[in-house]
Amino acid sequence: MDILSNIALGLSVALSGANIFYCFVGVIIGTVIGVIPGVGAISAIALLLPVTFYLDPTTALIMLGGIWYGATYGGAIAAILLNIPGTPANAVTCMDGYPLARQGRGGVALLLAALASFAGGTIGIIILMFFSPLLATYALSFGAAEYFALMLMGLVAASTVSDASAIKGLAMVALGILFGCVGADIYTGVPRFNFGTLELTDAVSLVALAMGIFGVSEIITTVRNTHASQIDRESVTFKAMKPTATELRQAGGSALRGSAIGSFFGALPGAGPSIAAFISYAFEKRISKRSKLFGKGAVEGVAAPESANNAADQTAFIPTLSLGIPGSPTMALMLGALMIHGIAPGPGLVNDQPSLFWGLIMSFWIGNLMLVILNVPMIGLWVRLLTIPYYLLYPAVLVFICIGTYSVHLSAFEVGLVVFFGALGYLMRVLDWPAAPLLLGFVLGPMMEEHFRRAMLFSRGDVLIFFERPISAFVMAVTLLLLVWGIASAMRNRRTVLQQ
Amino acid sequence: MLARDYRDILGGGLLLAAGIWAAWYSATHYELGSFQRMGPGMFPMLLGIVLAVLGALMAGPAFFRPGPKLQIKLFVPALILLAVLSFALLIGPFGLVPAIIAVVVISAFAEDKFRPVPILLLCVVLCVIAWLIFRVGLGLSLAMFTWPF
Repeated sequence: MDILSNIALGLSVALSGANIFYCFVGVIIGTVIGVIPGVGAISAIALLLPVTFYLDPTTALIMLGGIWYGATYGGAIAAILLNIPGTPANAVTCMDGYPLARQGRGGVALLLAALASFAGGTIGIIILMFFSPLLATYALSFGAAEYFALMLMGLVAASTVSDASAIKGLAMVALGILFGCVGADIYTGVPRFNFGTLELTDAVSLVALAMGIFGVSEIITTVRNTHASQIDRESVTFKAMKPTATELRQAGGSALRGSAIGSFFGALPGAGPSIAAFISYAFEKRISKRSKLFGKGAVEGVAAPESANNAADQTAFIPTLSLGIPGSPTMALMLGALMIHGIAPGPGLVNDQPSLFWGLIMSFWIGNLMLVILNVPMIGLWVRLLTIPYYLLYPAVLVFICIGTYSVHLSAFEVGLVVFFGALGYLMRVLDWPAAPLLLGFVLGPMMEEHFRRAMLFSRGDVLIFFERPISAFVMAVTLLLLVWGIASAMRNRRTVLQQ
Repeated sequence: MLARDYRDILGGGLLLAAGIWAAWYSATHYELGSFQRMGPGMFPMLLGIVLAVLGALMAGPAFFRPGPKLQIKLFVPALILLAVLSFALLIGPFGLVPAIIAVVVISAFAEDKFRPVPILLLCVVLCVIAWLIFRVGLGLSLAMFTWPF
């Protein structure tokens, strides 16, 4: 069968020495930054983006992918032991994981979280394997109008679904696209918005923008705001990890349902792992016979969100790899890594680069396997990481941000750009503007402009082209619905807030 | 709580201004072309208009509802940004080691209390790590020390 030969090809790529090594490096770094609160996967991936220039593109993506899903594994550890989510996707895990740890059953919670994560990851990978090639084959017939419509839908979804204020999200998308306009115009080569500088004639550096808006502004808001917490070391020994048969059965069902929910929401642009974890927790609580126990240490409350966020981590690659449209800022950075290596993202990727596509997918599975094996016996080491004081951590992160940005083009100007985007990122936090839509707009902006101008060229300047072609018309209709729904729910939220 | 949502009034106003400026700048500095054959200025100009409209939509309703107080720290952001800026200024003329030390020492003052001994150790460790990763590992031509004079 076709799929079997593809799996064999993928395994042969993923099992090569270098790829296994970088997969291991990726999941270790992912776990570490996941465990440490205040450093997110996105900052880590932005930091390592320059390093991947020296790697083969497949190897580079394998390592970055490992950081992405490894962080979700690691984040569960901080959520359970400290009641602080290591990554936003682990926030729901705190609700039952921390009470379990307080009852001296932290070991059980950690083990179940790791197993549920593995189950979720595996199911997500299987869905990714079947749906990506299908979607890619279908998408080969897409023209400029369809692409523009799809990107617009992705951006609108990202700014309206996740956040309460749709207008702020949309404004950040527009601002991001505007930053994407800086540099040479694609058709005429005229440098735009460079203000006479030589450094800006190319484009704004993706690394500098991501480091400033996510990395630096994160440090600014976290300094002086961290609190030391107590960890019960007794409950995380190897012996304390054995769950009872009932607990295993309860957690098993939740993990399967969580994986299904997570797989669906992960593939939707704008939804992603955090929303997937939240919805699966709410769903479990609704259908459970013992829903009163939720929030007081129910194992289902750990298994469901942890399986959902890991499944979503994997299916987030479906739109990214098969359409070239990232649904989250981390996926946007992955596409950035591909483009830096001269590989055009899009439906052609699955067919033209089978060894990259299948090798990457198989590496996900190997990485998930490594994470389970690593997480269980090495838990003591991860717990020790939680005790590193923040006053040593943030100067170190700042140094790596500087060197990482500088090393891309050996340009001090780009480090200066980090200062600019760091200030902007802090201003955005003060004004409660979401950062994710800005990065998505920045990455998708140049592609959107290209497709928009090409579609206008075909249609002789008639904007109705987007509503005349069936697929594009359907996508535009969905986009409009999302827009109306997003603005309506934002207004409803505001009204209930005012009434309180 | 304040009588008006000054956070969104300020934010929306900033975006409105940025949008108008971007539309004006692209319309006056770059060729617009026609819808069929768009010049380099058309897309940014349309985008500037969209941004201005969104900014107005953000600020408008905010006049008629109560809002949270703005909480701005000045000391911490200034020090962290200054640390990054010092790296940008020092790396060329003086090399990597002085740049790392500047980042660590300046940013360390952002905490409540300055701890000289751990920070000094951190400088040493980071310099060694940076040398191992970027010089030995990746073979970048980054100078550890230089002297411009």
